[in-house]
Amino acid sequence: MSALRQDLSAAAAVVRRDFLIAVSYRTRFLAQLISLFLTLTLFHFISRLVRVASFPTPDSYFAYAVIGLIILQVLTSTLSVPQGSLRQELVGGTFERLLLSPFGAVRSLLATTLFPLAYSVVTALAMLLFASVVFGVRLDWATLPLVIPIGVLGALSFAGFGILFLAIALLTRQGLTGASYLIAGIGLVSGLYFPVSLLPDWLRWVSEIQPFTPAVDLLRHVMVDTPLHEAVGIEVLKMVGFAALMLPLAVGAVSLTLQYSRRRGTVLEY
Amino acid sequence: MHSEAPAMAARPITGTTLEIDLTSPAQLELTNIVRRFGSRTVLTGADLRVPAGTIAWLGGPNGSGKTTLLRIAAGIVVPDSGAVAITGLDPARDRRACHRRLGYLSAGDRALYGRLTVAQNLEFWAAVALVEPRRRPELIDASLSRFELGDLATSRVDRLSTGQRQRVRLAMTFLHEPTLVLLDEPHNSLDEHALLLLDAALNALAGRGGSALWCSPAPTAALRADAAYRLQDGRVVTA
Repeated sequence: MSALRQDLSAAAAVVRRDFLIAVSYRTRFLAQLISLFLTLTLFHFISRLVRVASFPTPDSYFAYAVIGLIILQVLTSTLSVPQGSLRQELVGGTFERLLLSPFGAVRSLLATTLFPLAYSVVTALAMLLFASVVFGVRLDWATLPLVIPIGVLGALSFAGFGILFLAIALLTRQGLTGASYLIAGIGLVSGLYFPVSLLPDWLRWVSEIQPFTPAVDLLRHVMVDTPLHEAVGIEVLKMVGFAALMLPLAVGAVSLTLQYSRRRGTVLEY
Repeated sequence: MHSEAPAMAARPITGTTLEIDLTSPAQLELTNIVRRFGSRTVLTGADLRVPAGTIAWLGGPNGSGKTTLLRIAAGIVVPDSGAVAITGLDPARDRRACHRRLGYLSAGDRALYGRLTVAQNLEFWAAVALVEPRRRPELIDASLSRFELGDLATSRVDRLSTGQRQRVRLAMTFLHEPTLVLLDEPHNSLDEHALLLLDAALNALAGRGGSALWCSPAPTAALRADAAYRLQDGRVVTA
């Protein structure tokens, strides 16, 4: 069996483990869906107040906000859930097993990001369906399949940040360090709830130098046909660039943090 | 099930280093290990050699550095100076190869996924231990059988007693047929019968040329120990 196949098999086992743990809490998925549906309902009523030039009808703002909420939910899963899981592994002592496994701690941590991503895609689809069926959000069926390649590219461009937060969690031995600030920041500058054109000039540049704004912009464009903020090529290039830059950097940071913690003797501390 | 376990034979553990062939290849070799934590030097130049086919015991009072030494041997903690070799390999350079050969049991009752069943914990470990998929069922069955966990295979781990959890942890430690096993206080929470099972697992390991180093503050005659050592002032001495 080749090393790659062994690694893929081990990564699949990590995903299966996370799935089994998730389904062992029988009401968690349902409770999360109810919470997300209530959030959508809240935004539906807020959108009734919106009648501005950017959004000529309340429904157009609701469609805009729905996609933002869905992407925020995916981002939260990608960026903060693996960090929380690592914290649980440290407290539960299971991280030690991963550290001593031939699969290794770095690969195990990378594999830990997969289930939350898959889980968030399922909840995102449920939200989209709910918004479409209950509130009549019109989806652009012709371009909707493009969500898959854009979503994959978006996930790759975000994943580096999530992995970097794993390194921070290893170093600080705290969960959710940094991720909650980043998610709040993304909500502010990435056009999740309102167009970035509303941002003051001194803040708008932040929306240009990260992968979240182009991902949100492209996904919203193909799902509900909103106009693009920038040319498609530039937006795709930004996401590819961030994926190419951040992923190796973040994996290197996790590896270095583990080496540092082994040297300090703190790798199993929590 | 209990009747199948081997009978417990009391063995002297201290003051002995029983007929070990010191020229046989070492499964574990620690050379001049020094480790400090802040201003405190826990290990001051520890040397230890565990040859193939040997089960060694390491004792010493609380805080003497037993766990630190085991963690250094496993590659969890890096020594400030000194060398570690597992079956002749450097764990820092050949991490994957070393960990394939290594089984490690930490002290305490953690390192299990409480929401998973016994079998699911073993399946997960077999996968991350990179056991070939076709061999996993056989090795999992053997491990369940070795520690008499067959009846508990579908039980969730967080519903087991502490002693049963310890048997699951031991089953995971031996599952992938390691050649070197490091056990930190392995007899904790085990009843007399479970100690027999562990002793049998150690005998089987030594029988196929493997080695083990187990540690505890005080000796127990229930577990095999071909050689007995203790940590004194940060060094390993014959007990």
